[in-house]
Amino acid sequence: MADPAADHRRTTRRLWPALALPGTLWLVALFLVPVYAVMAVAFSGNINIFGEPIPAWNPLDWQFATFSQVVTESVSGPYRAVWVRTAVYTGLALMICAAIGYPVAYYTARLAGKRRGLVLALILAPWWINYITRMLAWVNLLQDDGYVNKALGIVGVAPVSWLAGNPVTVVIALAYGYLPFFILPLFASLDRIDQRLLEASRDLGVGSVRTFLHVTLPLSKLGLVTAFVVTALPMAGDYYTNTIVSSSPNTTMIGNQIELFLLQGPSKNFGAALVLLLSLVLLFFMAYYLVLTQRASREAR
Amino acid sequence: MSFDPADPSLRRRRPAPLGRREVLRGGFWLSVGLGASPLLAACGGDGGGSAQSGGAPYPLARPDDPVAQPLKDSNPPIEDGLDPESGGVLRILNYDQYMAPGVMKTFGAEHGVEVQVTPYTTYDEMLAKLRAPGESFDLVFPGPSVLSKMVYADLIQPLNKTYVPNLTNVWPEYQDPWYDQGARYTVPYTIYDTGVLYRADRVSSVPDNGYDLMWDEAYAGKIYLLDDQQEAIAMSLLRNGITTDINTSDPALVAQATDSLIELIDKVQVKANINAYSEVPEGTATVHQAWSGDAIAGQYYLPKGEGPEVLAYWRPESAAERVIGNDNIAIPRSAEKPVLAHLLINDLLDDKIGLKNFGWNGYQPPLTTLSAQFLVDQGYIPENLMNAVVEPSDFEEGLTFYEVPPTTEALWRQSWSQFKAGG
Repeated sequence: MADPAADHRRTTRRLWPALALPGTLWLVALFLVPVYAVMAVAFSGNINIFGEPIPAWNPLDWQFATFSQVVTESVSGPYRAVWVRTAVYTGLALMICAAIGYPVAYYTARLAGKRRGLVLALILAPWWINYITRMLAWVNLLQDDGYVNKALGIVGVAPVSWLAGNPVTVVIALAYGYLPFFILPLFASLDRIDQRLLEASRDLGVGSVRTFLHVTLPLSKLGLVTAFVVTALPMAGDYYTNTIVSSSPNTTMIGNQIELFLLQGPSKNFGAALVLLLSLVLLFFMAYYLVLTQRASREAR
Repeated sequence: MSFDPADPSLRRRRPAPLGRREVLRGGFWLSVGLGASPLLAACGGDGGGSAQSGGAPYPLARPDDPVAQPLKDSNPPIEDGLDPESGGVLRILNYDQYMAPGVMKTFGAEHGVEVQVTPYTTYDEMLAKLRAPGESFDLVFPGPSVLSKMVYADLIQPLNKTYVPNLTNVWPEYQDPWYDQGARYTVPYTIYDTGVLYRADRVSSVPDNGYDLMWDEAYAGKIYLLDDQQEAIAMSLLRNGITTDINTSDPALVAQATDSLIELIDKVQVKANINAYSEVPEGTATVHQAWSGDAIAGQYYLPKGEGPEVLAYWRPESAAERVIGNDNIAIPRSAEKPVLAHLLINDLLDDKIGLKNFGWNGYQPPLTTLSAQFLVDQGYIPENLMNAVVEPSDFEEGLTFYEVPPTTEALWRQSWSQFKAGG
């Protein structure tokens, strides 16, 4: 006689792993395999007559000369400036995103009321237009005799060479491009804050500024960190924004250097080594983020 | 010819510890050199041809040491008298804006195909696209500096010249050029030299060494290099009087030239692209390292109300100090429409069609009837850009990019990537 309870247990024992299967396959096919391919290229010890690395699929054949050269040059060679630039530009762009994004997300979640749908739609509206197109529009506005300089002229500011390899333009463009990515997770987290906590804070005689600092801000901390992570990851690897508004070696970021090696020439082993290095750096921040979320969910329990 | 990754003798060895500077500059070159020489020597047997192959498995052609590219049984030309293919797409791998759309459209209409162009910026990029697995192209435009390698790797197929009777229209020296004796794999497409295209209305005076314009802070933010490692580094070699050997394999000289280019980053916020033909007329660039063809094509990109007199081209006075070159037309091995490709090649060597193409892209075809004088008389070249014309005699003295061994290429590439990193 079959025991229905045991039957049920047996089914679920198979069901749950089965449900994880598509995700696992996806991860293996689209993450682990490409990463392994990148490693096979980065650790290749051979080049062909075209100067291209011959992938070393067998880990026993891996050579680390290229990788260690790239690491050395990242620490104390020509790539150091590229890494520093990437960090500084991304950091500054994130700060601009926070300065603009937090108030917008706060307004949308707390104060927009009936117009919240409209505000959200407006935040998302730029996504209806292709990213490249929006950036090219900026190129027109930022020309030496473009509208931005004309507008500055009205208030008596001397024209600025925005497009002549100007780091300020790159930072602004990055912030502009990724701002919606910053606002949305932040909005979601601000929106989730229990209204009653804020009321309780006010009932206990705390002013609105201190309510914000001691209730809203801590409760939205995780959302803020998510926003930083979600924005920082693509920003750090971005190359086309930079190419469009600058394309000068003056502002080369790590993404541009990778693009140079991978798309414009045969030295793909150097590009792959930089990709691995960038992934390691980003992985470090991801790990920090995971620790934070883990801790937060434990506290919630 | 095989590169067996498992064979330890072929593996790249790690260079011995060097000073920091050498490691940064030459580490790549050294490591590639150490690994590649035995590897390349091992398979150099079937290369044949030139004696001075410098470690490359294929012959390195020089004007005084011409090369007949090898014909192989495994890579035959197409048969005589085949019917042209029709329908579908004729795929061309070429620089952007390098063939007149009118010429392609007419050809497409005549033969019932759609002509599509896949663009590249550098030969490196062209080779990568040509070699991408599963890709097929019907026409490609390599210069002499990559030709032997392409033949060696079976990237292009021999031409069947019974389809190309118009070859007799080209300059006699190009019917039997030094890099492809007997024109077995290529016919010439265009000729050009390298100089500086600038806005005459913004540049007040041109120094004796016109390359100095590139280092002039007065035009900061509006100065562009050709986005081409050979052209950019060679310009620096010549401008700084480092050497007139623009194919040098000396790491110290290349490093010196690259340092001078790196100066441009802070000094004038230099940028790099190959669009001088539009950037200068449109005013985005004031000074742009350029090919002579860009100077001539510039007149077609001027905004309304501006005449060609706002453009000017500088190149070294003496032909012996000038970088001069030519591009060729070849048919990739992967071509799906090789007969049509032969017909288009023949069309491009037709005087009328060649003239139509020149009237659009500004790059002179080396066709005997389209002499410089004829092009000027016909009004194709504005009075003030007469110095952008290339004459057959220029090729006797000019400096040309030759095919160099992979180690030398790697050295230049590494220096260029350092420039691109911002120094």
